[in-house]
Amino acid sequence: MTLTSLAARNLLRNKVRTSLTLLGVAVAVVTFLLLRTVVAAWTGGAEFAAKDRLVTRHKVTFVMPLPKRYIDEIRALPGVKAATFCNWFGGKDPKHDREFFAQFACDDGYFDVMTEQQVAPADLAAYKADRTGAVIGESLAHVMGWKVGDEVKLETGIYPSDSGWAFTIRAIYKATSRNVDKSSFFFHWDYLNQGLPEGRRDAIGWVTSRVDDPAHTAEVGVAIDRAFDDKDTQTLSQDEHTFQAGFLAGFSAVLYAFDAISIAILLVMTLILGNTIAMGVRERTSEFATMRALGFMPQHLRWFVLGEAGVLGLLGGALGIGIAIPLIQGLLGRFLEENMGNIFPVFRLPFGACVLALSCALGLGILAALLPARSAARVNVTDALRKLV
Amino acid sequence: MSKEDILIDLRGVTKTYERGGESLTILESLDLELPRGTFAALMGPSGSGKSTLLNLIAGLDKPTAGSIEIAGQRIDRLSEAKLAKFRSSSVGFIFQSYNLLPVLTAVENVELPLLLAPVAASERRKRAQTALRVVGLEDRMDHYPRQLSGGQEQRVAIARAIVNDPVLIVADEPTGDLDRKSADEILKLMETLNRELGKTIIMVTHDPAAAARAGVVHHLDKGRLQRKADGGEHA
Repeated sequence: MTLTSLAARNLLRNKVRTSLTLLGVAVAVVTFLLLRTVVAAWTGGAEFAAKDRLVTRHKVTFVMPLPKRYIDEIRALPGVKAATFCNWFGGKDPKHDREFFAQFACDDGYFDVMTEQQVAPADLAAYKADRTGAVIGESLAHVMGWKVGDEVKLETGIYPSDSGWAFTIRAIYKATSRNVDKSSFFFHWDYLNQGLPEGRRDAIGWVTSRVDDPAHTAEVGVAIDRAFDDKDTQTLSQDEHTFQAGFLAGFSAVLYAFDAISIAILLVMTLILGNTIAMGVRERTSEFATMRALGFMPQHLRWFVLGEAGVLGLLGGALGIGIAIPLIQGLLGRFLEENMGNIFPVFRLPFGACVLALSCALGLGILAALLPARSAARVNVTDALRKLV
Repeated sequence: MSKEDILIDLRGVTKTYERGGESLTILESLDLELPRGTFAALMGPSGSGKSTLLNLIAGLDKPTAGSIEIAGQRIDRLSEAKLAKFRSSSVGFIFQSYNLLPVLTAVENVELPLLLAPVAASERRKRAQTALRVVGLEDRMDHYPRQLSGGQEQRVAIARAIVNDPVLIVADEPTGDLDRKSADEILKLMETLNRELGKTIIMVTHDPAAAARAGVVHHLDKGRLQRKADGGEHA
């Protein structure tokens, strides 16, 4: 027997209580990891943004359009390797009006700039040849049951049309990595433009440019904005990461709420552990007094209690991670990626979140035990022994 | 009697407690001398200060005034850490409720005090087994306290008290929770430890039959030693 094995035995003293505490900590850890996975999935796009791409939009706001002629001027600027533009369509399929998916009217150079979304050359040629053609992501195709050759009609409040907007699916794009969206719907900007009333034509939502050298992305962005400084419509160019982060800032309240709930969960975990440890210490007052009588020092008892709490937190955290991995990676993640890929293109448990959860379980376990450990160390030996008689 | 023969030497020991703003004197100017190898009993009515005196001698508490010398060492002057070391190396404890750790087996309970000593694990186990053999529990080594009778638990506690070969064993009502037969066995065992191993034992008891086993009985009343008698007077 050693001091460590003695501490370990104490953990098994009340197996039901220890099991329930471990389960409580594990549930808290699973919930915490689920929330962190949601946040990571939501913000993942910004984190995986290409370093050599710039997004140029209206200087005032994302929703105000730019003149179409700007694309030519941007393409002509030094450092710009390729540029494309898109408009947000904001439509819905009336047959599947509960399904949300993003639609973009883009110029034909789109897939040259967004190389992580790949279309087979023959399919891309077929798409380019068809004025009403559309390219959709593989997840969207799976969810909606669409395939190449299907005809789709969309309706939108942004660009109203009495007869709706009809498309023929000509290609299905694949993503080169897991974090790339696989649920979007792309079609020809010209088709949209020609279907609009005269006054609304030749307006584009934003321009995406690929630069020659990722090290000069910022300088190219400044050059683009400078080119339009003296025009009626001025621009704001940002690297893709900043642009996407700015877009996410619109949801900052939701993200803050997730953070707040995550902290609340950690607090609940601390209270679960604190309660168990405090109960255990209170029940063992006479044992601590006996140990003190036998010559154990206050620090021995303090470390016993802190060690127990740390091990309990660590085991609970490990159990939580053990549950979260198959739950998130295997079940939930696969389901969400297949069915809600437009919102969660990648729903995978971040390794960093697991490390954070385990560290928090250990650290907060020890934190929760500080007061009980103090009580154990300060037990009045003679009083505690007298109460026994 | 030479100074070396005296194991416990208390001079003018006073113990007062502050309770609710009032000063309560439990022991007052108490002098006590016990030679090595004594089996002494402390008797007296409840609240007379028996357990307080035992706690002071065992180094669990410190006197308000006076001096306590155990085996030539002034323990009333020791720091908390040195007092803990003194207890672990020099004192064996026997409690009324045995105070065994329920998560440990008999042999592990006996090993407990040795965890603080620089003794190898195998040696610890050997010494604990020997101590259990001395108290006649060699066949119960791997039993948990809940699997033992009260008398057997107290035997384990006695084995724990002797495992570090202390100069002094203190026992607070060691037979208080036992039936007569088990109490007699425990007292017999304590007699054996005193007589054959030369252990100095000081025992608090209310039981005249237990006191009768002691070589000397000290009576306390209202914090003062009243008289000293031979154990045989209580038979």
